[in-house]
Amino acid sequence: MNMKVLIIEDEPALQQSIKTYLEHQGFVCEAVSDFLSGLDKVRQYPYDCVVVDIGLPYGSGLDIVKELKAIESPSGIIIISARGALEDKLKGLELGSDDYLTKPFHLSELNARIQAIIRRRSFGGNKAIVFNEIRLEPEAQSVTVEGAPVELTDKEYRLLEYFIANQRRVLTKAAIAAHIWGDEYEQVGNYDFIYTHIKNLRKKLIDAGSADYIKTVYGTGYRFTDR
Amino acid sequence: MKLLTKTTLYFLLAMIPLLAGGGYLLFRQFSREIDHRVDRELVYDEIQWVQYVEAVTADGSSFILRAPDLLIFPVDERPSRYPSISTTQGQKARDNIRIPFRQLSHVVAINGVPYQIVIRKSQEQKAVLVANITTIMLLVFVGLGLATLLFNWIISKRLWRPFRASLQKIRHIELQQMDEVRFEETATTEFNELNTSLNAMTRKLHSDYLVIKEFTENAAHEMQTPLAIAQTKMELLLQDEALTGPQVDTILQATDALGRLGKLNQSLLLLARIEASQYETTDTLNLVDVTRKYLDLFAEMIQDRQITVETEFVGDFTVKLHPVLADSLVSNLLGNAVKYNRTGGRITIAVSERRYCISNTSDTPAIPPQQLFKRFGVPAAAPGHSTGLGLAIVKRIADTHHLYIAYAFEKDMHRFCIEAPGT
Repeated sequence: MNMKVLIIEDEPALQQSIKTYLEHQGFVCEAVSDFLSGLDKVRQYPYDCVVVDIGLPYGSGLDIVKELKAIESPSGIIIISARGALEDKLKGLELGSDDYLTKPFHLSELNARIQAIIRRRSFGGNKAIVFNEIRLEPEAQSVTVEGAPVELTDKEYRLLEYFIANQRRVLTKAAIAAHIWGDEYEQVGNYDFIYTHIKNLRKKLIDAGSADYIKTVYGTGYRFTDR
Repeated sequence: MKLLTKTTLYFLLAMIPLLAGGGYLLFRQFSREIDHRVDRELVYDEIQWVQYVEAVTADGSSFILRAPDLLIFPVDERPSRYPSISTTQGQKARDNIRIPFRQLSHVVAINGVPYQIVIRKSQEQKAVLVANITTIMLLVFVGLGLATLLFNWIISKRLWRPFRASLQKIRHIELQQMDEVRFEETATTEFNELNTSLNAMTRKLHSDYLVIKEFTENAAHEMQTPLAIAQTKMELLLQDEALTGPQVDTILQATDALGRLGKLNQSLLLLARIEASQYETTDTLNLVDVTRKYLDLFAEMIQDRQITVETEFVGDFTVKLHPVLADSLVSNLLGNAVKYNRTGGRITIAVSERRYCISNTSDTPAIPPQQLFKRFGVPAAAPGHSTGLGLAIVKRIADTHHLYIAYAFEKDMHRFCIEAPGT
């Protein structure tokens, strides 16, 4: 049941951060730090998702993407790169990568994207996301609590999906805003308005009969947890 | 003043004393010649008259002759050996004009009696000579002037052509495309020297520019990874449930600072990429659509701060712009209009086919023009989340796409207008 993720990242500190966070979220992680061992790994074993950096010792991460496509690997692929130039991004996606994330990024964002990729690839997007009594149908973007439908706005739905993907983790307001509204939201300044959305989501879920999972972490952000 | 006009003028100015000097020398030469001839005639006349008087007074009678140009009369003076000839002024016969005369005066002993002989000859022709010479010199001067003008015009057309070509190239030169600019070899040594130097200079400028550009890009890229490490470490640290309140605050402040650093870095990268022309496109898009998208995206924030947005979309402002840059342009302008607004303030967006204007109320004073589009020219009253690069990016996008951007502070509103080319 545990999803296997391969991390190919030459920066040990970053590799370790990713590994730690993903393992916390229930992934089984393997990590390598150069092109050749990355190539070896992807040839040996079909991972659910491969997280690959472009700039690697002995080769380019893009060639690993090519290799994965050449051997028709079922692995999902997400490129993480310091190069945010559009052509790099397009090249990566064109080669068959499922997603592209520019450094620096929030670990919660990487985690949410990996989960989305795996869901899309392995189950054609049909698999429901279940957290205790809450059930999300990604295809229809519908939510039920103990079978009873809950009407959520688009942003509230994405918020909930993001919370469940990063369950039990503290999510900063900046990370939440960046996920729902995109990086450009920082143009306008502060994140105070997030509070309103979270308040609404929490109220709708509780009204539908769910337990109160959204905990405010004072001054920091929020945590979605059943503990 | 044109270089050619200047040289022509100097040339003509130099010609004036030259021509005057030439005229004077010419006059003197002719004048001497005339004097010489007249003097000879005077002496010859005198000899004739002396012979005549000698014959007439042979019988011991005396002789007196008084004519306008001839005086012969006995005098009580010692005869002189040589006649004296001088130039005098005198009345012209019948006319009342004073003209120069060449006059011979001699006391000669004729048959033992001293006679004063005065003969003069009009030198009216000399005045005519001066007039003639002056006229000729003036004509030469005018002719020279005309010839110089004509030559210079031809020279300017032909000789200076390579110079103009180089000038035209320099005028349209852009740092990014400097490597494509070549100053051709010409048939003129001076222009060749100039063009060789220009070639060397553009090559140097371009390579320096590439080095700096590459450095900026690399520096920004290299910063991304350490930033990513620091940010992820903070995120992990934040998950520690044993943390105390103050510790969490410390981590958050550090995270915020890292976030800002990341944002700053991305803005610098964006600027570097715009300058490296990495966002060229042939497609046009409508800024109204982009604006609607961002109004939607910023809706919560606008609502939260009770800002009223008035839109007057009279026409579509279409522009040839890469989507990434269009996003950056609109999000920066609209973002600023929200960020620097006051609670309960106003934003007006007026768009026509040629003009795109965003105005907003604000508690910040008018931006001084010299600070307006400067990198890091953040007003003192800016909220903490400003990179100070937003307007610099907007300006850069406008400049690279031949759009004109203007700022005004009117009726308590800050207004930024983008105008399409050719308005």
